Amino acid sequence: MYKKYTISDYMKYVIIFIFFILFFFVFKLQVIEGEKYKNIAEKNVVRIQTIYPTRGEIYDCKYRPIARNKPSYNLYITPGKIVDRENVAKFVSKYFKKDIGEIEKIIYENRYRSYQDILLIQNIPFKKMVTTSEQLNYFPSLLFKAEKLREYSFANHFTGYTGRITEDEYKKLGKEGYSINSNIGKTGLEKYYENILRGINGQQVLQVDASGNNLEFFKHNLQAAPQNGADLILTINNDLQKYVSSIFPKNHKGSIVVMDIKTGGIIAYVSKPDFDPNIFTGGISAKQWNDIITDPNKPLLDRIIHGTYPPGSVYKPILASLGLEEKAIDTKTKLTNCEGGMWFGNRYFKCWLEKGHGRLAVEDAIKYSCDVYFYDLSTRFSLEQLNRYTKQNYISTRTGIDIPGERRGFFPSRKWYIDNYGKYVGILGHKVNLAIGQGEILVTPLQICAYYSALGNDGIWKQPHLLDKKIEAEETYKNNVEEKKLPISETTLKLIQSSLYKTVNESYGTGTAASINGIKVYGKTGSAENHMGKETHSWFSGYAKCDKFEIGFDVFVENGGHGGSVSAPIARKLINYYYGIVE
Amino acid sequence: MKRFEWIIFGLLVTFLVIGIVSIYTASSTKVADDFLFNNYYIKQFIWIIISMLILFFLLKTPNAVIDLSIFPIYTITILLLIWVLFLPEIKGSHRWINLGIVNFQPSEFAKLFTILTISKLISKPLLSDGQILLRAFTVTIVPVILILLEPDLGTALTFLVILFSILIVSDLPKFYLILIVSPILSITFSFSIWIFIIYALLLIYFLYRSNLDKVIIGFVVALNTFIFFITPIFWNSLKDYQQNRILTFINPMRDPFGAGYQIIQSKIAIGSGGLFGKGFLMGTQKNMNFLPEHHTDFIFSVIGEEFGFFGCTFILLLYFLFLYKIAKSIRKIKRKEYRFVSVGILAYLTFQIFINIGMNLGIVPTTGIPLPFLSYGGSNLLINVTAIGFILKYLNERSIFA
Repeated sequence: MYKKYTISDYMKYVIIFIFFILFFFVFKLQVIEGEKYKNIAEKNVVRIQTIYPTRGEIYDCKYRPIARNKPSYNLYITPGKIVDRENVAKFVSKYFKKDIGEIEKIIYENRYRSYQDILLIQNIPFKKMVTTSEQLNYFPSLLFKAEKLREYSFANHFTGYTGRITEDEYKKLGKEGYSINSNIGKTGLEKYYENILRGINGQQVLQVDASGNNLEFFKHNLQAAPQNGADLILTINNDLQKYVSSIFPKNHKGSIVVMDIKTGGIIAYVSKPDFDPNIFTGGISAKQWNDIITDPNKPLLDRIIHGTYPPGSVYKPILASLGLEEKAIDTKTKLTNCEGGMWFGNRYFKCWLEKGHGRLAVEDAIKYSCDVYFYDLSTRFSLEQLNRYTKQNYISTRTGIDIPGERRGFFPSRKWYIDNYGKYVGILGHKVNLAIGQGEILVTPLQICAYYSALGNDGIWKQPHLLDKKIEAEETYKNNVEEKKLPISETTLKLIQSSLYKTVNESYGTGTAASINGIKVYGKTGSAENHMGKETHSWFSGYAKCDKFEIGFDVFVENGGHGGSVSAPIARKLINYYYGIVE
Repeated sequence: MKRFEWIIFGLLVTFLVIGIVSIYTASSTKVADDFLFNNYYIKQFIWIIISMLILFFLLKTPNAVIDLSIFPIYTITILLLIWVLFLPEIKGSHRWINLGIVNFQPSEFAKLFTILTISKLISKPLLSDGQILLRAFTVTIVPVILILLEPDLGTALTFLVILFSILIVSDLPKFYLILIVSPILSITFSFSIWIFIIYALLLIYFLYRSNLDKVIIGFVVALNTFIFFITPIFWNSLKDYQQNRILTFINPMRDPFGAGYQIIQSKIAIGSGGLFGKGFLMGTQKNMNFLPEHHTDFIFSVIGEEFGFFGCTFILLLYFLFLYKIAKSIRKIKRKEYRFVSVGILAYLTFQIFINIGMNLGIVPTTGIPLPFLSYGGSNLLINVTAIGFILKYLNERSIFA
């Protein structure tokens, strides 16, 4: 019999063996090679330095700047070198007009980042920097750095803006190569195309004192060059953009979108009131921020995709095309006689024209925008049919534009009425309201613009977008977008088109204020009642064709009044102007 | 308290004191000191107090109560491991449950309760070899898979060490351990057909000589053949970055900006400590912020830099005495189940100490395994102290079962 090993014996031998190994390597590292490592530690400070790429710039369709990088002087603090925290905070607060609490907060959040430079103040004027430079001698923890800052050419809602990464964003994105001082796209195109614009970090190994002692570890040259961000070329035309922005009625809210009907590329994108994105890039003060978010006119709101409104009569062509497609009517069918209104049960629904339109066929009904015709037409369809067809025309659904946060809008369903009203009663009234774009239906101005553009483009709906191409490492990449076919036949389309043409170009049409000699303008007015004010929302949407261009447009003025008298003349001006500038 | 193991307890307290001091020097910065109660060493101190309270509570708890609670707690731990996978990532993996002030790591609890559960299940009398194997593997494989999904390779490996150590001291014939060892070797060797053939021949010879049941032999052969074919397929199906991650795990120098950089910096820090070290708070390398983990996974490098060869030797000696003392005492525990538990705990502590210090010295792959009792980290400390609590308890009560 040989000796049976006990548990303890096994474990003891393993433990002895393991500690022998560890001891051996500690001995090797600290005693045998100790001098070598001491040299490395003292003489050569090996540090990895990240080289940050330059953010891509944004240009309009003619390569004129929209968002660029300009030099800027920034103040940094190194937490490990702070001698007297309170004094530093006081100094910075006094000289750079920043709230002392904010400064203390930054120091606190970065208290473990001893030897990293942390951004304190951005965009310091050159003069200020020169005059304070001397003071900085008393505060070894502070230093200036010359860097790049974003600069936007004009107030707008599509570029969005960049801002300093927040502590939360950094926790989430830190491992993707952002530093605690990074600027990051916060809204708009800056956010949507963040990954394209930011570029790829480079890295290099720095040897602070490289004299003589060669570092064994980094024999090979370790440097990875950064790849700068791609430049974006937009479909926007700066001239038209600025012009449209200038002709928008003063002291009114609303939006204007113009797009190329062949490509879906947006040429002008104006939402009013607007704001200057430059105020955000250099770090906005708490007061400025407060002023902007408490402004009752909501200048930050992008009304083109974040605002949802009742479409009013600009919705009518959709119902007309559903009627024709489903053969509920043909081109000659005349519906109920309009005597200024129509009874449904015990409720009287008025037409906008008190004296009435008489009996009309579909073309005239669109041209005169007769409400009674569409009340009557709506009764021939179920609510679900209306809902489905509306969404098939990409109304009350997201268009997929390349700006984040687009809203869907709303179209009620049977289920929604049951959920909200308890039962499905009075539905006729709801449906009749929806027929003229009133009631619960909500749309974004962009959806309307895309729909009318598609009508002008033989029923091919192009996804609205701002990015035309990106230029990355001197290669150009075209942005290809989706296109879809509207559920509308050739003959129906022709009829709707001719109605829109007559609306603008025949006497007594509602949109005659937009007609232009030599340019074929098609359009539809809308005056949508709403709970936001007494006046109706003024809509005018359609498209214009000539030898030079084919564009779709949507002019929307919140509580502006009648579509035909307020929005249509604006459309006329912008088309005229565009004709003048485009080659 | 006559039989209380004062030496083990005394060493435990010594570790905790050294831990606090090391965390202080590793993490304190001048600015951070202004905000006292948010500092790591203060937080660690609070965790030590909590851990100690739990340890004393454990010593006073009747064995019957503990016996009854093992399965429920194991089950809860498994559920937490599933839950944690659905939580948002923290630092790139799904290891932590965020409890506001602290992050809680269920895989730490899984280690201890897997040990307790295996030991309880396989120490029942009259079990066949098959039953022991089946029970031990089932209890281990569930947390291992869940932890691999987090992903946390280092902790998952710890479970295999636990399983191996308990099976080696169980009544199971030692040849069965080929079930754990051979698949790992197969994965390693499957990348080269010639090495695999040599390995396969050795394995077959070993099986032939092993007197194992034919069914088991068949199973081992089938399993290893399967692994041989599936490993290359699996490997090729991985994305580039996944392959890179594994290759970097094995050889950190592949990634000189990331894992390799940490190892280099750790070696510079330890090596430059020399014989006597640079002195308390005098370390220069830790200030370079080469990695944010010097108060957790790389605490040994801070000790090495500031206290030098003598400091490191002292720490190694303390750990050695501690583990050796436990290993020697285990035979005094008469009840089989408790002996298994103690061996499991001893094995995983030894493994973690080896892996962590080895990683600091640059001789084993970088894993997120902290240094027991010294590294900053609440869940880890709590579980390690509780684990020692179990051993102290068993040693304390040994006369009852003698």
